[in-house]
Amino acid sequence: MVKHLRVAQREQCIGCYSCMYSCSRTWSNVMSPEKAALRVRNYSGAEGAFSIRACFGCTDPDCVKPCPTQAVTVKSGGGIEFHADKCIHCGKCVTACIPKAHQWDAEKRVPIPCRHCGICVSFCPNCVLEMQPREELKGAGA
Amino acid sequence: MTSFRMLEINLTTGSSTTTDISALFAEYLGGTGVATRLLLDSPSDIDPYAPEAPIYFAIGPFSSVLPVATKTVALFKSPLTGNLGESHAGGRLALAMYGAGIHVLKITGACTELSYLVIHDDKITIRRATSLKNMSALATERVLREREDSQSKRSIVRIGPAGERRSPMAAVTVDGSRHFGRMGLGGVMGSKNLKAFVISGSHYWTIENKAKYNALYKKLYDVVVKSETMHKYHDLGTAMNVVPLNQINGLPTRNFSQGYFESAHQISGETFADKHLAQQTACAHCPTGCIHIATLRECFDVDDHHFKTFKVSYDHELIYALGSNLSIQNAEDILKLLLIIEKQGWDAISMGVTLAWACEAFQHGLITPKHTDGLIFNFGDAFGLEKAMQHIAAGKNEFFRDLERGASYCAAKYGGTEFAVAFGKTEAAGYATGPFAFLGYATGTRHSHLDSAGYSIDQKAISKPKPDEDLVKDMYKEAVWRMIPASLVICFFARNVYTKEVIVEGLDALGIPGWNDTRLDALAKRIHAMKFRYKLNCGFRWEDLTFPKRLEQLTTSMGQVTCMRFGENIARFRQIVETDLQQLSL
Repeated sequence: MVKHLRVAQREQCIGCYSCMYSCSRTWSNVMSPEKAALRVRNYSGAEGAFSIRACFGCTDPDCVKPCPTQAVTVKSGGGIEFHADKCIHCGKCVTACIPKAHQWDAEKRVPIPCRHCGICVSFCPNCVLEMQPREELKGAGA
Repeated sequence: MTSFRMLEINLTTGSSTTTDISALFAEYLGGTGVATRLLLDSPSDIDPYAPEAPIYFAIGPFSSVLPVATKTVALFKSPLTGNLGESHAGGRLALAMYGAGIHVLKITGACTELSYLVIHDDKITIRRATSLKNMSALATERVLREREDSQSKRSIVRIGPAGERRSPMAAVTVDGSRHFGRMGLGGVMGSKNLKAFVISGSHYWTIENKAKYNALYKKLYDVVVKSETMHKYHDLGTAMNVVPLNQINGLPTRNFSQGYFESAHQISGETFADKHLAQQTACAHCPTGCIHIATLRECFDVDDHHFKTFKVSYDHELIYALGSNLSIQNAEDILKLLLIIEKQGWDAISMGVTLAWACEAFQHGLITPKHTDGLIFNFGDAFGLEKAMQHIAAGKNEFFRDLERGASYCAAKYGGTEFAVAFGKTEAAGYATGPFAFLGYATGTRHSHLDSAGYSIDQKAISKPKPDEDLVKDMYKEAVWRMIPASLVICFFARNVYTKEVIVEGLDALGIPGWNDTRLDALAKRIHAMKFRYKLNCGFRWEDLTFPKRLEQLTTSMGQVTCMRFGENIARFRQIVETDLQQLSL
C-alpha cells in the first residue's frame, strides 16, 4: 500500500530540524538541514510556532503544470518525480506550490523532490510526522 | 572536507578577512580551545570596552554534524570581572555559522553609529540602524527577521537596551530565547555599537564515510531520544531541581540567608509545568527539547475583558534568581520579572543577585529612600522589584544606574560586601549545596556553576564523604575535562552522552585522525591552564577570591562552611593550577 508523508501533529514540533538533517543526510549525502525536501519554518518572538512544510503527495500537483520541460511529473499514486536531465532551472515548480512545501536547492538550482521515504519520520522525536496510507490521509499538514 | 575558517570583521574599518585556521583546530579541537588560544594573542591589558578588544564566537567539528553539538562559545575580556569572559549559547547560531562556512567569527573595532551586521556566506554587510536604538532584544529579532530574509536558516544575535548602555551584566540574546548570559558580552557588543548580527549561509560538509557516520549518528540520536540520559531535561527541565534542592537545604533563599524556601512548591518545576508550560522547544540539531516556554495570560482591562498573553522561557537558575533568592512566592510574578529581563537583555542571575543585595542593603540602612527616590526594596515584593527594574532601565538616578553594574560594584560603593554573593565579581548561581558549589564558583575559569559542577560534588559527598583534598582533586578533574565538550561545543546536558570513547569515534568518523584518550586529557589540561594564563595576564589574583561572610552563616546541604575551609581549598586548587601553568608552553 502506498504511503505518504503527513504532518500529523504540528503542535508537537520542537523545532530541532532532525527531520531536515535526516533527509539531507540520506538523499544528498551532506551534513546540513538545507538540502531537505521538507522545511521546518519558525517565526520570531513566538517560540514554538513552527510550521512544517512537507510535500503533500498531491495526485494533481500544482508544481507539475508550470514546468515547461516535463522535468517534474506526477508519480503514480501521488507526489512527483524529478527528471534532472530535463530541468532548465527556472524554479516555476517551486513557486507554484502554494504552501511552499516543494523545496529548492539554491546551490544546484533544482527542486528537491520528496520521495516519501519516511526517513524524516524515523528521526522525529515527537511523532510530528507520520507515514499514512494514501486512502487514510488526513489533515492538511503545515 | 573538514576545513575550518575564521572570519574576522573590523567594524571600525568595515573590512573583513577569512583565514584558514584548520591547523589550530587540529591542535585545539575547536570551540573554547581554539578561541582561548586566539584570545591569548590579544592584548590583556586592554579596556574590555575598547574598540580593539576582540570577541570570538567559535563552534567545533561536531557543530551541525552530530546531534546536541548545539552550542556556540563566546570568548572576550569580561567587563564584569576584568578578565576572561566566556559564555555559551544555543539556538541556531552554531548551525548558521557552519552554514556560513566559518567556525570562528572574530569581531573587533566599533561602528561609529548603532549598526547591525549581516553575514551570508561570503557576503558581509554593515548597516546603520539608529532606528533600533533602545529597542528591546525581543523586538529587535522580530524586526530583523522580517528585514533580513534568507533562503538558509538564520541566526539572529542581538542586544537589548542594557547592552547599549554598556551594562557589564548585559546579555546577548540568540534567536528565540537562548542567551550568552553571563559576564557582560552584551556590554561589549554595545561598546562596539553593534546592536545585532544576522548570520546564515549555504555551506556544508559532505559525508565521506557514510556507514560509519550514519551508524554513529543513529546511536547518538537513540541515546538522546530514547534513553533516560536526557529525559529529565525534556521533562521538567532543570526546574526539576527546585524541590529536591529545597529538601536538602540547598536552594538559595533571600540572598543566601538560608537554603530552604517555604514557598518552593509554588515555584517548582512541577508548578510551572502544570500552570504555565506552553511547550518545550529545542536548539537546532537537538532532539531533546529542553527549552521550557511558559505563557502568562493577564487581563489588562477588566471592564472590557481585554487580555494579553506573553511567552517567556524559564529554568532552575531563573527561578532561583528571580524567585527564592528574592522571596518571590509565585510563578506568575517570576514570569513578569523575566519578561522585563528578556526585553532589557540582562543576565538574569546577575540581576537577581544584585537585587537581593539591594533588598538586604535596604534592611541594613545602607540604602535609603534617598537613594531609591522613595522606592522601598523588600524581599518578596514583586511589584516593588518590577518597579526597580523599570527604574534601572530608565537610568532613573545614580543608584539605579549602579545596580546594573553588579553586586560587587554596588557593595564596594555602598557597603554590604559581606552579603554581596559574588565570586570573582560574578554573581553566584542557584546552588547552596555546600563548600564545593562555592569553591566551584570561585575557581571556575568563568566563575560559573558550569565550570566544575561543584553542586554535584557536594551532593555526592553527602552520601559518600571524602577528605577535602580528594574532593578538590575531583573538582579539578571535572573542571579540566569540561574543556573538551566546550571545545566541541557540545551542550553540557549531553556531557554523559559524549564520553571519551564517543568523542574519539566521532572525530574518526569525520576523518579527523590522531585523537585518543591520552591526547584529549592532555589537551583539556592545556586549555584549562591557558585560561588561567589569560586571567592572570589580565590581573586576576587568587587573593581576591574572597568568601562572602554571609555564607558562613548559611546552613547548606553540607552544613556550615567556614571562610577558613574555603581558603584552604582555594589554596589546594591554586597549587594544582600553578603546577599546570609551570608546565604550559605556548
